[in-house]
Amino acid sequence: MIAYLMNLATIVAIFGILAATLNFIIGFAGIFSVAHAVFFGLGAYAGAQVALLLVPDALLACLVGAAIAGGLSLCLALPALRVRGEYFVAASLGLQMMAATLFAEVKPLTGGIGGLVGIPRPTLLGVQIGVLPVAVAALALILFLTARLQRGAFGRTLQSIRDAESAAEALGKNVAAAKTLAVAFACAGAGIAGALFALHLSFVNVESFTMDQSVLVMAMVIIGGTGTLWGPIIGAVILLSLPAGLAFLPFIPATEVGAVQQIIYGLAMTLLMIFRPAGLVGDLSKGRSTA
Amino acid sequence: MSEILLKSENLARSFGGLQAVAGVSLSLPAGQVTALVGPNGAGKTTTFNLITGNLRADSGTASIRGKPIMGLKPWQVARLGVARSFQDLRLFTHMTVRENVLAATETASWFWQPGGTRARARRQERAEAAMEATGLTALADARAVDLAYAERKFLSMARILAAEADIWLLDEPASGLDLASRIRFGQLLRDAQARGVAICLIEHNLDVVVELSNRIAFLDQGKVLAEGDPETILRDPALAAIYFGDRPQEAA
Repeated sequence: MIAYLMNLATIVAIFGILAATLNFIIGFAGIFSVAHAVFFGLGAYAGAQVALLLVPDALLACLVGAAIAGGLSLCLALPALRVRGEYFVAASLGLQMMAATLFAEVKPLTGGIGGLVGIPRPTLLGVQIGVLPVAVAALALILFLTARLQRGAFGRTLQSIRDAESAAEALGKNVAAAKTLAVAFACAGAGIAGALFALHLSFVNVESFTMDQSVLVMAMVIIGGTGTLWGPIIGAVILLSLPAGLAFLPFIPATEVGAVQQIIYGLAMTLLMIFRPAGLVGDLSKGRSTA
Repeated sequence: MSEILLKSENLARSFGGLQAVAGVSLSLPAGQVTALVGPNGAGKTTTFNLITGNLRADSGTASIRGKPIMGLKPWQVARLGVARSFQDLRLFTHMTVRENVLAATETASWFWQPGGTRARARRQERAEAAMEATGLTALADARAVDLAYAERKFLSMARILAAEADIWLLDEPASGLDLASRIRFGQLLRDAQARGVAICLIEHNLDVVVELSNRIAFLDQGKVLAEGDPETILRDPALAAIYFGDRPQEAA
């Protein structure tokens, strides 16, 4: 039971990082990316390769995962961020589909459909450790950084772009640079989550980095409350403990848990959008129609 | 004659078959208020957009203190000292009044602003002063979306004040303001004028134009038909006919 809860906590911390970083670009910059799982995947493959080929050092894996995911997001963000709103959603959707195919095909780097197996247990400076403390520390660091950025000038810059891009530009803000920076920061965070995920499961394949995963992370952000600090974490806790909780209910047959889960997700999202459109932690007045 | 801060020559831009701006030459001297007057569709806002880099000109040039600005992006033009307001205001609606104004002082796009705590204190002072001058201090923590109409207009002006630009392009800044607000707005303009700001404003209310401006540029169908002091321009019966919709060629 302890091992089970530790596993759940580790996964929650990892998805907490994903949700917090996605929230940073959705809630503060108004950039609706449905490709967050791509950068999660890039970090996971990078971290896995570091552990397989070099040393299974958690810190090194995280740094390489962050650098690869953040770095590649720069190349992709530069052309994609030229488009706005729903066009960016479509562009990121395309990226997500393309990346999932590449993950399944580029066997030398990703192991193809079979994925990368036998990733060694992580160490930190040569000492073997669990992923949980590293994941919690990384989550704390990411929350600290996002909170600092959100409250400071950079957060105001992103919010001003979200609310009125042309006015922000007319006040001297280099909108493209600020957006690119925000995306790189968020994707580097997703890369860290990916590296930890690979070390935790000691196995990764493309199944974890598909559209479904991107949608799940977005659901965490929306359910918890976009633009809030703790909302995405609460969203991650709820969406990840729901399947676990359902498995303990004796009257639901094990084979039907998946279907019941989908119904509950759908119902919860609908009710939430009606009664708390800004999410569980969100400001009640926000998101409602003022008409 | 005071220094010309912004100068445009023969700016032109067409959209499909429509020649929106057909060779507009404008000079904005420091410490002067120039009103752009003309019927709807005369090309006033398009002229602003060509100067600020929001639209690319088909031909013509513009310069700030002699430095050419054609081809620059809006944020680059802004950093050369141009601040503009929009007819539809474009406030940062979900941010507070203070955040709106502070955001106008923070131009670096990096994770932090340069200059450390001293520069930050200075930006905060600028923001407080801009709110004070526009009468928004008491509303500093209110969200822009919750403000009344006149307050929104003043918030749009507060952002411009805080930006410390010396060229202001204002698109119908006084429309919809009551008399008291208009007087306060006039005071803002006169203070800026005294500091040497070159102001260009688009305005339909001719009383406001006479009250606030030193010069008028009369635009029609993308061209500056006449330029001069308000009295002369507004007394010209041919221009009045155009402005009030009685075009000579239409009458013929």
